Amino acid sequence: MSENLLEVKDLHVQYNTDDAVVYALNGVSLNLKEGEKLGLVGETGAGKTTLALSVLRLLPKVGQIASGSISYKGEELLDKPESYMLGLRGRRVSMIFQDPMTSLNPVKSVGDQIREVLDLHFPQLTKEAKNEKVDQMLQLVGIPASRKNEFPHQFSGGMKQRVVIAMALISQPELLLADEPTTALDVTIQAQIMALMGQLKDRFNTAVLLITHDLGLVAEFCDTVAVIYSGCIVESGTVEDIFSGKNNHPYTKGLIGCIPDLSKDEDRLHPIPGHMADARTLPSGCPFADRCANAMDKCRKERPEAFSEGTHTVFCHLFDNMRGGV
Amino acid sequence: MKKRVKKPLSEYSTGELVLYRFRKNKLAMLGVAMFLFVTLMILIAPLIRPYDMVVKQNIADRLQGPSSQYLFGTDELGRDLFSRILYGGRISLFCSLAIIAIAFVSGALIGGAAGFFGGKVDTVLMRIVDMLMSVPSALLAMAIITALGNGVWKLVLALSIGQIPRFARMVRSSVITLRNMEYVEAARCFGISSMKIMLKHILPNGIGPIIVSATLTLGAVILSISSMGYLGLGVASPTPEWGTIISENKVNIQYYPYLGIFPGICIMLTVMAVNFIGDGLRDAFDPKSKN
Amino acid sequence: MAQALVEAVDLCKYFKTPKGLLHAVENVNFRIQEGKTLGVVGESGCGKSTLGRTVLRLHKATSGKVLYEGKDILSFSRSEMHNVHRNMQMIFQDPYSSLDPRMSIRALIGEPLSGLPRSERLSAAEEKEKVDAIMQMCGLPLHYANMYPHELDGGMRQRVGLARAMVLGPRFIVCDEPVSALDVSIQAQILNLLMDLQDEHKLSYMFITHDLAVVRHISDDIMVMYMGQVVEYAPSHMLFSSPMHPYTVALLNSIPTIDLSRRGRERITIHGEISSPVNPAPGCRFAPRCPYATEECRNEHKLVEVEKGHFAACTKGVK
Repeated sequence: MSENLLEVKDLHVQYNTDDAVVYALNGVSLNLKEGEKLGLVGETGAGKTTLALSVLRLLPKVGQIASGSISYKGEELLDKPESYMLGLRGRRVSMIFQDPMTSLNPVKSVGDQIREVLDLHFPQLTKEAKNEKVDQMLQLVGIPASRKNEFPHQFSGGMKQRVVIAMALISQPELLLADEPTTALDVTIQAQIMALMGQLKDRFNTAVLLITHDLGLVAEFCDTVAVIYSGCIVESGTVEDIFSGKNNHPYTKGLIGCIPDLSKDEDRLHPIPGHMADARTLPSGCPFADRCANAMDKCRKERPEAFSEGTHTVFCHLFDNMRGGV
Repeated sequence: MKKRVKKPLSEYSTGELVLYRFRKNKLAMLGVAMFLFVTLMILIAPLIRPYDMVVKQNIADRLQGPSSQYLFGTDELGRDLFSRILYGGRISLFCSLAIIAIAFVSGALIGGAAGFFGGKVDTVLMRIVDMLMSVPSALLAMAIITALGNGVWKLVLALSIGQIPRFARMVRSSVITLRNMEYVEAARCFGISSMKIMLKHILPNGIGPIIVSATLTLGAVILSISSMGYLGLGVASPTPEWGTIISENKVNIQYYPYLGIFPGICIMLTVMAVNFIGDGLRDAFDPKSKN
Repeated sequence: MAQALVEAVDLCKYFKTPKGLLHAVENVNFRIQEGKTLGVVGESGCGKSTLGRTVLRLHKATSGKVLYEGKDILSFSRSEMHNVHRNMQMIFQDPYSSLDPRMSIRALIGEPLSGLPRSERLSAAEEKEKVDAIMQMCGLPLHYANMYPHELDGGMRQRVGLARAMVLGPRFIVCDEPVSALDVSIQAQILNLLMDLQDEHKLSYMFITHDLAVVRHISDDIMVMYMGQVVEYAPSHMLFSSPMHPYTVALLNSIPTIDLSRRGRERITIHGEISSPVNPAPGCRFAPRCPYATEECRNEHKLVEVEKGHFAACTKGVK
């Protein structure tokens, strides 16, 4: 079994704004093995992006990692100096953002922007070697090398996201953090981009943390899944564990129920009632208790312990008896 | 005695909310206080010092520093600086406010029409504005005053024409941005007339930055009145006016700095006060600002 | 056949651009019966939003007709338009930008009433009553009335958007991607609300979206558009069980699904991307990306009734 590449343990992150403290992550633990594709699923405000930014230590100024640990290849990132992080970001860990329109510099040619990564992390390479690598990379992401002198506005949305992927992968990182990489794109383009990411991942054996709100995307692309709600991981496991429909967390079950099924005719959808709790107050019990149809008194008071069955872990009091039985 | 019942904020009407937010804003209230003080002093000037003092020369007492007799000292002709500043405020403050108001209203009308209707209306109006802008505003004002003749109101007219282009351009660009907002399209969809859309959606959303810019322009306008005065146009010595007071004393400021400091402070306080008020207004009209 | 509530006949909308004429909507025909929903599906830039806006006269149509109860609303004079505003409404995609940030929820919902002709204006008390009723109907707690849009979350704002459209008591609503900006759990709430309102008030919808899963759920008929052209138009179940046009097939195939048995399915990925139909060549606009394109595809594009009620411009997608 391969080693854990990234290990996040009991991470608490808060944003100290002028008005209030916003608790963005409340004890998140996550493991990612080398070459693994992990899908982090959650809705707006669940803390998905905060987690990715914490790993890179790129939280905005008001953001503060209150406690927990993030270890990368066995090294604790939270104790490292900023200089160490500079060598890590973009070299060993890359990130792709949601909006390809704004993550490229409009006044620089795409070739130059990709080469910049090499200038920064591989200064020893000759100019020719760098240019050759840029050409190769562009071809890998399906852009003719002849277009490298063009500017971002000359590319369509999908093509821009290809450029961003080329930038992220040219240093052959061990870990790619992809934050909603296809949300701004059309479905047919999304299919192309996800296929491309799959191929490149296999080629470079990069581990991928795919952050998305789209369960379907995770089911098709990832090996393992973690479902995040209100800054807490509520369920994790392999794709089979999650989508086989057995022993799901009520939130996951609710999310799956919200998706209109293409293969069935249904009259009404089954929405999750209510909306996500205000992140300015720390929940005492299960964060989902207020919206959960199965909530018990215990759910509002105690944080549920993990219930594990092989690779599948659920944080829910409904499974307490089952734990006792084993 | 009638007891005032405090009702919860959620029941306030929009107007009451604006007033509430404005009064909560400490800087804005300070601005109001400062502005009221300056205005009051200017209005009751005749009660404090007779107009005589403004023009009466007293060579024996020339270039005296501040004292109990001459609160702010005297200039090289021995005139009381305090009286000159008191009476000078009338022209400085009221003319500059009038200039800003005229420029603001006509600029908003021109820019609003250009932005909202677009097309030919836009092209014609904006080319006229460009023509106005291509002439340096001081030169333009001089030409107008020369044509119309000297006088305070003619000065106001001349200087406000020079300020129209900046307001027109600013209003036009914000109207164009707002015109394409989805909520304006939604209002169209409900059959709301253009005039109503302009008044209910575009004006309240676009006015904030323009008010702030108008208040910031005030200082520049006070100074441009004085530069006109220096050129002998509009207000000329011995009629006092804050800018003119500084410029007529400029030879002596190096050795008698109070001659520049006191009128300078007056200009600064007024501009600051108006600016605070403008900032406060902008925040008060914005429902996103904290209650 | 019963008279349709809303019908489009050869509707075209071209935009003048510096590069040439952009054919945003080309010869679109559809009929929507009372109480039914037409889903309009396509990727960004396919002209679906333009179509919705042209139907409501927010854009001036280049040619063609839009019939409401048999009358061409495109020829209405300004004074006749308030009939259109009362009966035909729109819900916008972005609940953030379609509400004026400076108006309270009550003022926003009451705004459409202020556009009525003078003789039909309501008194302040009547208006308040009406707004309260509409808020309840759309699932908005009454204490939201004095709040401002920025204090509400996306789902609640979209309910405000819906309340605004409902306040005049329309019979037809164009829904332009009403749930695309929302989280899935909220999306389902809004979709259910739309369907409940439809049942209660016999509303007709034109539901514009890029999301096939959503559109299947809510629509009776579905129209698939590609670069301004309608490529397939069929009752919902037919379109999903037997899609014919290669583009429809590709679109259906591209949707990620949580059904693990479909994980390893053979994919027909279509290459290239949608461009904009400026001075388009004749024939099928999908041809440059189509795996089955032949020479004749570049000549003609015409919807043909392949089976009863199922129109397709091409049947090469059938396996």
